[in-house]
Amino acid sequence: MPITTTRRRLLAGSAAALALPAFARAQGAVKPRLTAISQWSAGSDGAAITALGKKFEEKGGVWQHSPVPGFTTEMMNKLRAQIIAGDPPACSQLKGPEIAAWSKIAPTVDLDAVVAAAGYEKVVAPDLAKLHKPGGKWIALPLQIYSTNMLFLSKRAMDKAKADKPPVTWADFNDLAEKMKAAGVTFPVANGGTRADDGQKFEASLAGISPTAYRAAAMNLDKKALEGPEMKAAFVQMRKITNWMDPNVGAQPYAINLKRFVDGDMGMLIMGGWAQGVLKNAGFKLDDFVVAPGPSDNGKPVFLLNADAFIFWQRKEPDLQAGQALMAQLVMDPAIQTMYSQITGSIPVRTDVDLSGEGWSDGQRLTAAALKNAVANNQAVLSLAHNMAQENGLTAAMIDVFTEYAKNKTIKPEEAVTRLAEAVEGSR
Amino acid sequence: MSNVVSTATRPATSEMMRRLPEYLMIWVPLLLSAAHLISFSIWTIWISFTPSTLVPVSGWVGLRNYNSVLASRNWQIAFDNLLLFGIAFVLLSLITGLLLAILLDQRIRGENVLRTIFLYPLAVSFVVTGTVWSWLLNPGIGIEKLAHDLGWSTFHFDWLVNRDMAIWTIVIAAIWQSSGFAMALFLAGLRSVDADIIRAAQIDGAGPIRTYLRVILPTLWPITITVVVVQLQFAISAFDLVRALTNGGPGIATQLPALVVYDLMFQRSQLGRGAAAAVLMLLILLAVLLPYAAWRYVQRRQATHA
Repeated sequence: MPITTTRRRLLAGSAAALALPAFARAQGAVKPRLTAISQWSAGSDGAAITALGKKFEEKGGVWQHSPVPGFTTEMMNKLRAQIIAGDPPACSQLKGPEIAAWSKIAPTVDLDAVVAAAGYEKVVAPDLAKLHKPGGKWIALPLQIYSTNMLFLSKRAMDKAKADKPPVTWADFNDLAEKMKAAGVTFPVANGGTRADDGQKFEASLAGISPTAYRAAAMNLDKKALEGPEMKAAFVQMRKITNWMDPNVGAQPYAINLKRFVDGDMGMLIMGGWAQGVLKNAGFKLDDFVVAPGPSDNGKPVFLLNADAFIFWQRKEPDLQAGQALMAQLVMDPAIQTMYSQITGSIPVRTDVDLSGEGWSDGQRLTAAALKNAVANNQAVLSLAHNMAQENGLTAAMIDVFTEYAKNKTIKPEEAVTRLAEAVEGSR
Repeated sequence: MSNVVSTATRPATSEMMRRLPEYLMIWVPLLLSAAHLISFSIWTIWISFTPSTLVPVSGWVGLRNYNSVLASRNWQIAFDNLLLFGIAFVLLSLITGLLLAILLDQRIRGENVLRTIFLYPLAVSFVVTGTVWSWLLNPGIGIEKLAHDLGWSTFHFDWLVNRDMAIWTIVIAAIWQSSGFAMALFLAGLRSVDADIIRAAQIDGAGPIRTYLRVILPTLWPITITVVVVQLQFAISAFDLVRALTNGGPGIATQLPALVVYDLMFQRSQLGRGAAAAVLMLLILLAVLLPYAAWRYVQRRQATHA
């Protein structure tokens, strides 16, 4: 699909303006201005949001973005402070179930009219759309999608193990890891030591073993599913993975190991699609590694969804309201989503963007295809480790169990299952 | 005694005016900071009984937050670690500080330089200490790798990533940082021991070790108690060092109460539970400070009576 402005979209835009009298009036009268906060300050994330800001300014807006570097929770602390002070940003980064939680503490903007006018709902995966309209109304807009269980394989490590294709199931994965180990790859699994890193190892295991069990246990916290046999199997698989990891990483992020990964000293990286942007930014070439969907025992790709989004906070100032309307249109725009994803390595939220053109990598095309496939097979689920499945408190309590299990090899898989169920019970 | 005071400060307006800046300088900041401290403590105590999560809300949930914190594995590990860390750190920094002080007290050359060196870690922020030690102790890049590179391939020192020993890395770093402080206080104490007593001991035929053990050290015990209390309250509120060194890891093996509070409040958005954990920390702190205050009170009473 061409990414220029089509007449249909122009029409949609004007319809949106008509449908939103307040926005329309504001837009006519004042210069749109947007105050925004996010955690995206550096690397490909920083570059992408800066590019978005440029587009915003090209449309005549005033772009006031204040990045809060660090983890998402640090950004949230600033957001909390601003909300308590009665001065929320016009727009802020927020995602997953946090959108619903935070929308209860301060009024948000009803985006239904703009979304309807743009015909956006039809091109967003249903599970994802649900997260952004907690009370039945759109109050936030997803910006880009990542899968948290992509499998990155080091070309050199594969050469060492004489492997030519990525593993499909966990059994394949375990085989390949053994081969790599035997062929002199020091650590068949490349890893970091952060909490999210350990969480990802578990969610990838469980979702790969059974997406149905994942949905019931991690997303719906079903008590029976939490104690089910798939949970134990997932912990068993996770123990295998951790045995192949470098124990010396301390609490450092996975990115410090990328050079060892490319060099073939480490073999496989289970990481979100963003690792591709990080690898690219670090100067590595696309043929240094292979990207594949995370292992899935039924052979069909399982997609652990992580989507960044913007939530819009109610403001009285006409220029901010105009800015919100402009921002909403930009975020839904396929051209903008294309630009954004090409910088960060994610895939667009819109399912109707064509990724065959230049500027997209094979990894991104494969991710997009995997998402389509996973949605069709009902195997697209929300990531637990990246706060898409549960609110922060519950997620953190569950990750406590994963991270302790990853580091303490004396905890048996069945004990871990019990502990996880207890942790869920304790923080409900 | 009170008679003397009252005659000395018999009210005279000009006298009051003369001392006004003094009162302003002392009382205004003191009252402000006390009000600050007390109001926030009370507010935190109140929040700990409410169902607050993302933002503070009113409401009453009784002891639910406390029960949930006390039942959580994080807190239990943090409390056990605090006991171990508190005792080991205070004892070892006391011993190290005292040894350093005694060695420096031998009228050696270059004492000033050495004293500065030993005291200097105190000037470094705990975050820096934690980060530097996290590199030194990392088996992949630090001391263990150095020993291996030097040819000692059987050398094994992986405490940082060993969940049973990781808490000791925090003890090591904390001692490195603050035994200089204990040393400075002890040194001052050693220097203030009356030279006549030492000479008397020597005349009585006591050797240097005996002189230290029987004569000098007993005079140091008020300083010892001060050092213990100061170090203990550091241990209880330790946060930045752990966060930079292990961040509670591997896994959750080196959790400490302050980390749990921060985690609950700012990572998990559970303000009520975080406040409850903070109040629990305050109680632990009071368990140290109240006996100390009582001891000081008794001391003063005895001094007055004597």
